[in-house]
Amino acid sequence: MNPMNTAAQPQQRQFNPYTENGGTILAIAGVDFSVIAGDTRQSEGYNIQTRYAPKVFRLTDRAVLAVNGFAADGNMFVKKVKQRLEWYRHAHAKDMPLHAIARLIQTMLYGRRFFPYYVYNILGGIEDDGSGAVYSFDPVGSYERETCRAAGAAQSLVQPFLDNQIYFKNQQPAPGTAHPAHLPLPHVLSLVIDSFTGATERHIEVGDGLEIYVVLAKGRDLSGLEGFAGLQEVSSRSDGERIFVIRRELKKD
Amino acid sequence: MSIMEYNGGSVIAMVGKGCVAIGSDLRLGNQALTVATNFEKVFPVTDRIYLGMSGLATDVATLREQFRFRVNMYQIKEERDIEPEAFAHLVSSTLYERRFGPYFIEPVIGGLWKTQGGEYKPYIAAADLIGCLNFAKDFVVAGTASEKLFGVAEGLWEPDLEPEDLFETISQTLMNGVDRDAYSGWGAIIHIVTPDKVVTRTLKGRMD
Amino acid sequence: MECSFALTGKGYVLIAADTTAARSIVKMKADEDKIKSLGPHLLMAYSGEPGDTVQFAEYVERNIRLYQIRNLYPLRPASAASWVRRALADSLRSRSPYSVNLLLGGYDTATHAPSLYWIDYLGTQAEVPFACHGYGSYFALSLLDRYHDPEASLEEGLATLRRCIDEVAKRLVVAPGKYKVKVVDKDGVREIEL
Repeated sequence: MNPMNTAAQPQQRQFNPYTENGGTILAIAGVDFSVIAGDTRQSEGYNIQTRYAPKVFRLTDRAVLAVNGFAADGNMFVKKVKQRLEWYRHAHAKDMPLHAIARLIQTMLYGRRFFPYYVYNILGGIEDDGSGAVYSFDPVGSYERETCRAAGAAQSLVQPFLDNQIYFKNQQPAPGTAHPAHLPLPHVLSLVIDSFTGATERHIEVGDGLEIYVVLAKGRDLSGLEGFAGLQEVSSRSDGERIFVIRRELKKD
Repeated sequence: MSIMEYNGGSVIAMVGKGCVAIGSDLRLGNQALTVATNFEKVFPVTDRIYLGMSGLATDVATLREQFRFRVNMYQIKEERDIEPEAFAHLVSSTLYERRFGPYFIEPVIGGLWKTQGGEYKPYIAAADLIGCLNFAKDFVVAGTASEKLFGVAEGLWEPDLEPEDLFETISQTLMNGVDRDAYSGWGAIIHIVTPDKVVTRTLKGRMD
Repeated sequence: MECSFALTGKGYVLIAADTTAARSIVKMKADEDKIKSLGPHLLMAYSGEPGDTVQFAEYVERNIRLYQIRNLYPLRPASAASWVRRALADSLRSRSPYSVNLLLGGYDTATHAPSLYWIDYLGTQAEVPFACHGYGSYFALSLLDRYHDPEASLEEGLATLRRCIDEVAKRLVVAPGKYKVKVVDKDGVREIEL
C-alpha cells in the first residue's frame, strides 16, 4: 500500500483500559480461624513487573481481603473498601461485621456493572458468631460463603486439589466415620503451602513470594501457629480477633 | 471452537516404584453434548507399554490402528517387543510425518523397560500433536482437563509409590481433575503396569 | 430437519430415520428410505449432505456385499463398523470428504448379541446402547437416558422409540413428519409400521 495514501483506508483505534496481572489467591475457613493467602508476583504477559506486590490486605482486625486480576483496579478497589470501612467506624464506633463487608463489596462491585473492576475478590475472616468464614466474588458482585476458594491464574490448578483435600471429594470415609467439615490450622497451612508450591511449579505467572494471613477468633489460642517461620502479628489489639502474616519464599523462575 | 476440544477427554500417566500407571476418562462428546460414556482413550501396545491419546476421537481411533500396524511390523522385523523409548520415538515420528496437516491428538505413553541386569524400570512420556516429546520423571497429562490434572498431580504425587498407592494417587488426580472439567469425566479407567502383571480398574465418577 | 434414532433391546436393534428429502426450504420427497440393509443382519441409517449420503451408502453397501461374495460369509457388525469408520476417516483427509453421519445396527449371529454403532462424518465411532443424529438428539438422548432398557422386549423398545419421535414432534420447530422404522434381530432385517 502507498504510505502517502493512508487516509484512503478507514482506520480504527481502540483504547483498552484493562490488563491481566497474573498471580493467584486462595482462602480456607476453619471452625474458629480463617486463612487467606496470595503470591506476590505481578506480571504482564511474559514480563515480571515486580516480585513483591501484595494481593492480600488486612481490612479490620477480623477481615482480610484478597484481590486478583487487574492490579490497578484491585488496589483502587481495596482503597475504596477501606475508605468505606473507616466511614463506618466513624459513624458506628465499631468495625463492620464480616457478612456486612461481604454485602458492601457486592454493592460496590455491582455499582460498576457496566465498567467493572476487573478483579476477583476473596474475603476471609471471622463472623460475629466467632466462626471462620470465606466469601468469594466475581468481578460484578455475585458472591457466596464457602469453606474454601482459589482464584486467579492458577485457579484451575489449585481448586480441584482443594476439592479433594478440603471437601474430600472422591474420597470415602472409613466405615462408621464422617469427613470433618473443618480442618485444624496446621493442616490448612500445609495445604496452602503445597497449593502454592504446586502452582508455582506449573504456572509461569505464580511465584516469587507467598503471604499467608491467618485470622484467629476472639480468645482462640495460638496453637498451630507458634514457632512458624516468618510469623508476624498485625492485629491492632490483643483482646479481640487476632491477625498474623506468614511470609515465605516461592521459586522465582 | 478448537478441534482439540471438540470431543473432550483427558489422559494421565504417572511413575511409581518399579511400576507405571496410565488412565483416561470415558466421555466422548460432540462439544457440550455427551454421545458415549464408554470411550476408552488408553490402549495396550505390548505387554508392558500402554498408549493414551486425547484429542479428536476419529484420530484417536485412526492412530490406534496405525500404531498397532507399525508395532507389529517392528516386532516381525526385530523378532522382539518394542521398548518404551523406541515406541515413544515411533509415536513422535508418526506425528511429525503430518507436520503441516496434523492428527489432532496428544499422546501419553507409559511403560516398563528392561535394563541390562534384567530388572524393569518405569518410563513415561508425552508429546504435542506434532510429536514434540516430553520425557518426564514424575507424571504427564493431556486433554481438556490438563491444567487441572497438573495442579492436582503436583499436590498428590510423590516419588517411589508402590503399585497400590500409585493407583490411589493417579485415581484421585484423574477424578478430581475431570470433575472440574465439563468436557471430561463420566467415569475413568486406570491401568497399573508392573513387571509381572497389569491391573486394570474401571472407576465410577460423577455423571454431570 | 433430518433426524435418526436407534436403540438396542433384548436380541434386537431398532433404527428409525425420517423420510423427508429436503432442498433448502422445499420438501422434495416425503417417502425417502434412509436406512439401508447392508447384509442379512446389518442395518445402516445415513444422514447428512444430500448427494454424499446415497453415494457413500451405496459405496458401503457394495463393498460389504463384495466381502460376502468373496468370503461366503458376511462381515460381523463390529468389523463392518470399523470398515465404514475407516472409509469416513480416510475420506475426511481427502480432497472432497463425505459429510455423512451413520447409525449402524447389527445382530451378531455368532455371539447372538445385538450391537449399535454411532459414527459421524469425521469417522468418530462409538458402540452405544442408543444413539441419535441431527437436532433430534438434543431431545431424544435425555429421554433414552431415562427410558432405555437393554432387556426390553420389541414392544417396549418400540414404545420408547415412539416417545422419542413424539417428543421431537412436540418440541422441535423443524421436526420431520414421517419416519421409517426397521429392526434387526436373529431373524434378520425387517421394516416395522409404527
